[in-house]
Amino acid sequence: MSKRSNWAIPYFIFLVLFVVLPLVLIVVYALQDGNGHFTMSNVTRFFTDSDALSTFAVSVEVAIENTLICLLLGYPAAYILADKNLNKSAVTVILFILPMWINALMRTLATAELFNVFGFTLGKGTLLFGMVYDYLPFMIYPIYNVLLKMDKSYTEAASDLGATPVQVFGKVTLPLSMPGIFSGILMVFMPTVSTFAISEFLTNNKIKLFGTIIQENINSSMWNYGAALSLIMLVIIGLTTILLGGDEREVEGGTI
Amino acid sequence: MKKLFAQAYIWVLLVLLYAPIVFIAIFSFTEARTLGNWTGFSLELYKHIFTGGVSGGASLMAAIKNTLLIALVAATFSTLLGTVSAIGIYNLKGRKKKTIQFLNNIPMINPDVITGVSLFLLFVFLHFSQGYLTVILAHISFCTPYVVLSVMPKLGQMNPNIYEAALDLGATPSQALRKVLIPQLRPGMVSGFILAFTMSLDDFAVTFFTRGTIGLETLSTYIYADARKGGLTPELRPLMTLIFTIILVLLVIMNVRQARTKKTTR
Amino acid sequence: MKRLLSILAAALMVAACSSDRDHILKVYNWSDYIDEELIGEFEQWYEEQTGEPVKVVYQTFDINETMLSKIEKGHEDYDVVCPSDYIIERMLRSDLALPINMDFGNTPNYIEGSLSPYLTKCLKDLKTGDKDASKYAVAYMWGTTGFIYNTKYVDPEDLRTWDALRNPKFADKIFVKDAARDIYSQIILYLKHDDIVAGKVTMEELLAVPSQENVDLVEKYLMQIKGQVAGYEADFGKDQMTQERGWISLNWSGDACWAIEEAAEVGVDLDYIVPDEGATVWFDGWVIPKYAKNTKAASYFINFMCKPENAIRNAEEIGYVSACGTSEILEHFRDEEYDPINLTYFFGEGADSVCINPVMYPAQEVIERCGLEHDWGEDSSMLIEMWSRVKGSNASVMTYIIIGALFVALVAGVVASRTKKSRRGKGKKRR
Repeated sequence: MSKRSNWAIPYFIFLVLFVVLPLVLIVVYALQDGNGHFTMSNVTRFFTDSDALSTFAVSVEVAIENTLICLLLGYPAAYILADKNLNKSAVTVILFILPMWINALMRTLATAELFNVFGFTLGKGTLLFGMVYDYLPFMIYPIYNVLLKMDKSYTEAASDLGATPVQVFGKVTLPLSMPGIFSGILMVFMPTVSTFAISEFLTNNKIKLFGTIIQENINSSMWNYGAALSLIMLVIIGLTTILLGGDEREVEGGTI
Repeated sequence: MKKLFAQAYIWVLLVLLYAPIVFIAIFSFTEARTLGNWTGFSLELYKHIFTGGVSGGASLMAAIKNTLLIALVAATFSTLLGTVSAIGIYNLKGRKKKTIQFLNNIPMINPDVITGVSLFLLFVFLHFSQGYLTVILAHISFCTPYVVLSVMPKLGQMNPNIYEAALDLGATPSQALRKVLIPQLRPGMVSGFILAFTMSLDDFAVTFFTRGTIGLETLSTYIYADARKGGLTPELRPLMTLIFTIILVLLVIMNVRQARTKKTTR
Repeated sequence: MKRLLSILAAALMVAACSSDRDHILKVYNWSDYIDEELIGEFEQWYEEQTGEPVKVVYQTFDINETMLSKIEKGHEDYDVVCPSDYIIERMLRSDLALPINMDFGNTPNYIEGSLSPYLTKCLKDLKTGDKDASKYAVAYMWGTTGFIYNTKYVDPEDLRTWDALRNPKFADKIFVKDAARDIYSQIILYLKHDDIVAGKVTMEELLAVPSQENVDLVEKYLMQIKGQVAGYEADFGKDQMTQERGWISLNWSGDACWAIEEAAEVGVDLDYIVPDEGATVWFDGWVIPKYAKNTKAASYFINFMCKPENAIRNAEEIGYVSACGTSEILEHFRDEEYDPINLTYFFGEGADSVCINPVMYPAQEVIERCGLEHDWGEDSSMLIEMWSRVKGSNASVMTYIIIGALFVALVAGVVASRTKKSRRGKGKKRR
């Protein structure tokens, strides 16, 4: 038995080399200047860089709004899809997940083109709309999964005991679907904060998000500042994950 | 009444969700370079996928080939590595198991940009010249965790004694692996492979940071470069339509098959 | 298993092939800036001339500064790059450019024979110490900066000043190049126009001497017009114009030629104008960067692109105007449809009255009110930071309210769940 546990060793080495070391390097580069000397200036620069700060704030704002809209639109959809009385076919569920298989950039561009053809000015509004397009399935799917696996006897018991439908929903269904909501939030919020390219396409370069500044810095060979910005994002991601307990839940992506 | 309302809500959402895709699909059948202009039915753009669409020295076809090659190699390696590791992790206990499972979760939680930047820094740090190899390594690193997660449950469902029995009956470990273990894990490996393959196909950010300067373009980077010049290139309209149709057909086939096997088992 | 190994072998071969650096020429050029067929033809031509094979790896950028920092900070091993004037000056100053070897053996030297005297003068104007750019760079394309406009919606009289950007008639219909320095230069020429007329300051000084005060003035102006702008574009502006999504685009004359032609095909009438306050003249040139690994193929590549017929093909394909000024090129672009203008400054003696498209080859008097941009050295960061502030400041009061609200909600949520738990705990204890 002990022999087969050794089979994990190559992967452990692989993980250390390609996951842990790279993350350590982000910290190392973030705390170095161009000549390899230790410095805090990259990190402090972020807090004095009005451009980066404002972009950061906008990214968080867009991510919050996107997550909220996705939740408000997605929860009812997931609820309906998971309810056998309201939706009988599995086809509708698949239809919601299907667009995820098309390249995200392509989908985004298609959305932007649609706005253009109908004469909408690209800006904040179209950005949000496009983001909701891209991420709604990621909100619906985990909630749907949790609702589907939920033991129906709880809700039946509640209504037998005289709870109104609203009470059943508020006291039983909603609390029980919280894990799905949390992973949905995780899967929408974090990609929105970090996305790059998508926001430029949806706003004619007028609004850029935090991922874009990281990309711009790395792409212009300003590795140290780029690494510092990545570090700040890592901290945000870490905090969100801990807050939502995401590391204990498996991330359920594009699977059916 | 309630049902009608629910159905209406679902369909309104679906119509909105599919509007851009359907719109692009319709206009893939005309030649007009400006989207929204209809200049009569034509399959010209479909021909262009194979012949034209040259951007930055790399043709659209070359980008598609690269994407498929990378996805195939990365998914294959991830499936092998992931399966072997899943068996190993399954047999681990205590803190060791927790540690490696925690590490396995990191690439899935990490946003693409961070994965891309961190791997880029790794290759810079190691003075590793970037190209196909680095992109494939990067893809393996974010695909393998999904394979591990797909194979693990199958190990739990398996009777551990069968493998031992095979060894007792005189099978060599490699025989026991091929004849006993692999067949049992195959469903998990297949879904892991498919997942890894789609993750790799869809990736943009990680490829963007790890492809170096040898002019390597995948579909995503090609689309990105093109879009910076002027939105969705006309050639991408038929491509998107084709991809969508292929996925649709595959899904229908899978569902029909599933329905059939369900019937026969009953 | 065998199949797997063969896949692996194939992947490794692909990786191995790309590492044979001696026969690779890495070209880093502006996007949409060459007749792509010429790349393949060059590979063939080079082998014919030298007997050595070469494979061109062609990559593109769309912002000058991105290209520069890849070389300056990233030490990328590109063999030929195509920066703009002020970046060439910058590369010269920081020793990032290698002198171009003009000895081509039996192969004709097209560079010396075909470059226009005007561009040769421009190259000589870019100098640092005892070095001038003519030994380190070969001009490729050139032009002016101005407005592309849609004649259906815009009266050219409104565009005689750069201040048209502030004209409410054009709100949400204006596209602006994502090029910090070009925008700065045009705006400062407008803002200081009176001083130039009064002789308080020269155009050269305004463009060449870094000044935080002027940068601030421009930033203030750009913030005022931010609401009017429909988008900042690196390369998609011409498309937006042909599709009539934009009415005005602050753009380069080369993009203008391309857009005017493209738009005419779909029945949209575009034109180009250089405002009265003057504008910048710019050119892009081939440079062999310091970290190049295949300098021989690089200089042959530059030579090949200067061959008059190739210069014409590039110009035809991308719509920009070649820096080469031979009689073949003049003959090729001559068009009786236009009024005759004086172009001796570009084509030399005998070109004092030629009928040619004035968007491509501006008349002498337009060139006289235009100036060349210069490198600001370390002070360039002033410009770049100003530009990212202009583009990036999208956070509003609302942004902070929303973030604040979420934060408060989170804290409230955590506190509520804590008190709930502790209450439950107390209840248990009592029992």
